[in-house]
Parts: sequence; C-alpha cells; structure tokens
Amino acid sequence: MQLSDVAHDAASSADAEAVDQHHDEHESTGIDNRKLGMWAFLSSEFLFFGALISNYLLYSNRGGFEGLYPADIYDIPFTSVSSFVLLMSSLTMVLAHNALSRGDQNGTRTWLFATAALGAVFLGGQVFEFTEFITVYDMTLSTNPAASAFYLLTGFHGVHVAVGVVMLLSLWGISRRKGGLSESNGMNLELVGLYWHFVDIIWIIIFTVVYLLSSPPA
Amino acid sequence: MSTEHHAHPTPAQYWKIAALLAVLTAVEVAMFYIDKEYELGALNAVILVLLAFLKFVIVVGWYMHLRYEKATLSRFFTAGFVLALGLYLVVLAAMGVVVITGG
Repeated sequence: MQLSDVAHDAASSADAEAVDQHHDEHESTGIDNRKLGMWAFLSSEFLFFGALISNYLLYSNRGGFEGLYPADIYDIPFTSVSSFVLLMSSLTMVLAHNALSRGDQNGTRTWLFATAALGAVFLGGQVFEFTEFITVYDMTLSTNPAASAFYLLTGFHGVHVAVGVVMLLSLWGISRRKGGLSESNGMNLELVGLYWHFVDIIWIIIFTVVYLLSSPPA
Repeated sequence: MSTEHHAHPTPAQYWKIAALLAVLTAVEVAMFYIDKEYELGALNAVILVLLAFLKFVIVVGWYMHLRYEKATLSRFFTAGFVLALGLYLVVLAAMGVVVITGG
C-alpha cells in the first residue's frame, strides 16, 4: 500500500514536471509561440523589403538608360486612392479582430470579408497600373534597371497582399461554418491580422519613398 | 483569444485612428503637390518621411496592438526594423544615394 502511494506520488510528480516542461517549451516567454513566431517573421521581412526598396533607390534616378522611368509616369491621384483603400483595410481587419473578441460572429464575418474585398480592390488597382505602364507607356520589366526595380518591389508587395487575401478568405470560409470561428481560430485571426497590418505598413513606406519622393533623372 | 488581456481600443477609437491616418495620407499627397509648385526640396523629404513614420507607428502601436503587448515583442520587432534600416542606410550611403554628414 505504502509502495503504491510512493509510486503514485512519483508518477504525479513526473506528470507535473512533464506539464511544466511542456509549458516551458511553448510559452517560456509568456507569449504564445505562434504569435512570437509571427512577430519574428515580420521583423525579418524588413530585411527582405529593405533590400528591394534600396535596389529601387539605387536605380530610380540613375541616368544613362533608355526608355521611360517609373517616376515619369506615376499616377499619384490613382495610387493615393489605392493607398487609402489599403489603409482602410487595416481598420476593417482590426474591427474583425475586435468583433471576435466580443463573440460577435456576424461582425467578424462581415469585417473579414470587407478586409479581403478591400485587399482585392488594391490588387485590382495594381494590375490596372501595371497594365497601363506596359501597354500605354511601353515600360516593361526589361526597359531599364529602374523599371525592373519598380516591378520587383511593388510586385512582391502585391504577392504579399494576394497571400493575405487568400488567408482572409480562408478564415471567412471557416467563419461561415456552424459555430463560426472557435477559440483556436481566434489566434489564427490574430496572426493573419498581424500579417495584414504589416503589409499595410510596408505600403506606407513604399508609397512615400517610391511614389512621392522619387524623381526621374534630370 | 490572446494570451494577454490588456485593454485594447474600442471600435469607436479604431474609427478615430483610421480618420487620423486618412488625414495624414491626405497631407502627404498635398505635400507632393505643394513641392511641385514651390520646390521645397529637402524640407519636403523630411516632412514626408516624418508623416510616413507617424503612420507607421500608429498602425504598429494601435492596430497591431504592439503598445499593449509584452516588451519582448517590441524588442523583436524594433530590432528587425532598426537592423534593416541601419544596414540599408549604410549600403545606400556607400553607393552615394544617401549622403550622411557630420564628424
């Protein structure tokens, strides 16, 4: 009897230790590891976009090449509206997050769809811009280094937005199922939200540095 | 849904923040046209960079909730940003795109 008590205590102690180790493994920082991972990933993305923005700055007004430069043909009013659309998608994203935290499944669905729709509008604007640059102004990927750098930078940002729209629509699809988004999906929504806001802040930088501040060679 | 439960802004506050972001964007675009008319040069660049930085901080702080999170997350994010900014400023300075004065 005594022996079984000792064995039971030992087993309980081992279980408790295992639980502690499990806890340490996943939340030793006190922050959900998925969230920490997302912030670390977004932090590393600064290096990725920084390289592309630097590449653009290196060539944006370097003369000696033929063809039109991106800064010759920017449509600032059009891009301003696109920027506004993407900025407002951050509002709808955070409203979706807020609605879920209040248990408002209808609100979550609505704001998620609105965010995806605004992202799609932004992407449509980018496709229109690229099409116009290529067909009307004949500025293609290989026209000159400035054009290549422009398409590379804004194109990669567009790919990030497209990935975000797919993730948003996936969450929206899940939210339409019976019971809506669960507690675990709540964290997924938070992570997608972080990614989406990051795409927005990268565009804030691109809009200023690439569109508003760059000028063609004198 | 989150491991932290700090008081996040209310929906009404999120709308006010969005309005502020919209105004800042409008000022940026206005600055672009003012510069075309009056050729402000470096002053325009400084104002536009400051406005963009302000928008950046607002989105990260309030929409990404970084100001309500643990300091570890801020350090992670800030370290990446500062590292990238420093690295590429040095690269651009070496290439003659950015001029760093002083010393």
